[in-house]
Amino acid sequence: MNQEWDIAIQRTINNNVPRVSKILKEHQYILELAKKLREAKLKILSNLEEYIEQTLESVKRTGGNAYFVKDPSEARELVGKIVGKGKIVVFGKSMVAYELGIRKYLAQLGNEVWETDLGEFLIQLADEPPSHIIAPAIHMTKERVAKLLKEKLGFDVSENSTHEELVQKVREFLRNKFLSANVGITGANAVAADVGSIVLVENEGNIRMSTVVPPVHIAIVGVEKIVPTLEDALNEALVQAAYAGLYPPTYINVTSGPSSTGDIEMKRVSPAHGPKEFHLILVDNGRIKASKDEILREALLCIRCGRCHLHCPVYRVLDGMWGDAPYTGPMGAMWSYIIYGDGKPATYCTHSGNCKEVCPMKINIPKVLEYIKYLENKKQS
Amino acid sequence: MLGKLIYENLQKYGFPYPIDKHICSSWAKDIPKQSSTILYTSCMYQTASLSEIYSKFIPYAEKLSAFSFLGKYIKPKKEELDRAYKILNRIVQLLKRNGIEFGYLYEEEPYSGAILLELGFLDEFSAYAKSVYKFFKEKGIKRIITVDPHTHNALTRYQEFIDKMDIEVVNYLELIKDAKAISDITFVVHDSCLYSRFLNLRDKYREIIEKSGIKTIEDELVTGNDTAFCCGSPIKPINPELSDKIAKARVQQLTKLSNNILVVCPMCYANLSKHHENIKDLTEVIE
Repeated sequence: MNQEWDIAIQRTINNNVPRVSKILKEHQYILELAKKLREAKLKILSNLEEYIEQTLESVKRTGGNAYFVKDPSEARELVGKIVGKGKIVVFGKSMVAYELGIRKYLAQLGNEVWETDLGEFLIQLADEPPSHIIAPAIHMTKERVAKLLKEKLGFDVSENSTHEELVQKVREFLRNKFLSANVGITGANAVAADVGSIVLVENEGNIRMSTVVPPVHIAIVGVEKIVPTLEDALNEALVQAAYAGLYPPTYINVTSGPSSTGDIEMKRVSPAHGPKEFHLILVDNGRIKASKDEILREALLCIRCGRCHLHCPVYRVLDGMWGDAPYTGPMGAMWSYIIYGDGKPATYCTHSGNCKEVCPMKINIPKVLEYIKYLENKKQS
Repeated sequence: MLGKLIYENLQKYGFPYPIDKHICSSWAKDIPKQSSTILYTSCMYQTASLSEIYSKFIPYAEKLSAFSFLGKYIKPKKEELDRAYKILNRIVQLLKRNGIEFGYLYEEEPYSGAILLELGFLDEFSAYAKSVYKFFKEKGIKRIITVDPHTHNALTRYQEFIDKMDIEVVNYLELIKDAKAISDITFVVHDSCLYSRFLNLRDKYREIIEKSGIKTIEDELVTGNDTAFCCGSPIKPINPELSDKIAKARVQQLTKLSNNILVVCPMCYANLSKHHENIKDLTEVIE
């Protein structure tokens, strides 16, 4: 094993695994919310196309723009048209944007682009693929982070710098980017079909800044993130935060269209202080096809808590590089097939079964991976 | 295609690769051949040490078209075979002491098909499971006692492919109510993934361990139900290097707790033994 990875992942497991168990023990209602969420998401996935239509209509009712794109090239073209050239763009962490190659595409168009989630920011500086679905720089030790910040941005830090000192330096650097940004791009943890709101859960404050400060907010979201109601969407944020190990989450953001006010004679007008434009881009890229397969559909229930990664022996010994970025680990082995048609990661599953034990959505991941192996074997015969 | 090759070998040799069937059955003496209840080994304990050798041939399997010549030359080492035979005889003794009667099919005992299932060759597994089930029915078998997790898993999954399967599948761990430790060594338990998280048998063998008086060392991040690593064995036919990395990492974790490792699966024993000497099967430390 790579020595740096081994140190970094061991520290992460020691910090995270006992904490998630404690959170779930202390807040047992989360288990009930997770059960309810699974049902809500299954309802959507059994009739995805109809809910996509409903969501697009709901967003338009809030004064937002809503689109459906089939593949990465459609997505890039659309985002490129909205953003244009010569802009400053801040990303509030979106794995779907990574999947679609949005950041690099916007940079090629001549925009200044910055990832603002700390992990993503480090990945951008290092020009490396993310190694974990919610902690993309999980493979870097504190010492490596210090070296990277010093080399790439000239920060006055050393391997003896504390975690707090490193975070403070990045905060100083990115604060100015938020304030001067023309466009903020985020993903979403959930989208409420009934009212067209998106919900984002976070701790850093970078998502709140990216969704409120720039005049334009674009949310790029996989269609599997649609849930029936705003209540379900808020539940998803709580469940995701708990299983990710940071509970209560520092921020839960709800965005329903562009900013507005009714403070003059109670006439609602838009924009107010926040973005004047809100764009929701719903992405297919293999998800609808998967939703029609009874077994693959289970993979679409994933809420991206990243818990399965930390319990998986294969992810651990492959230095975090199991699956096609940004989809790594057990969930990533399923998603590598759904998004990229790559069945090879599934063949590496040892069916240890830890992933299914810790999954909040009770996805029988080894079963899904067994099925992908089967589909691959059939293709070869 | 690997699945087809394994399936063909199963037809030709009654095993995923060519093997002298005496290796599988020579351990048994004085067990009746005819019985509606059988002890079923699927030749797993007897051949676990060979999986290492055969996994090395897999990349060339299709070019060689069959492994037929290997069966004559490749046999487990004598000490490995003696150990496996001793374990199976201890299982027999434990079951008899608990009042369980059973027969054994000797050289007629078929393989379970587990490798097809675990590599995702579900169509081949389905066809093979049907043929094995038919054989069991023709023999009048009503109850099968398995002795390892891979076989138990394969047999319990026959019902997904066979309509109204009416043969009971039970694991020997479910039948042992009374056993005691034969030494006062303290162990760290390396749990079986299949027993623990797929077959609901973790509590059964952990209860046997506890009741027998064996002391164990636990650490939530090493031996917890959702944290304990796999031994790496199931991935060996696909990626021996990855399998070995997992085994090595697992031994490192376990030996931080104790130098004495206790296992309940022959494949775990075979894979972890490459990196550590003091490993015992549960049946070697209880009576």
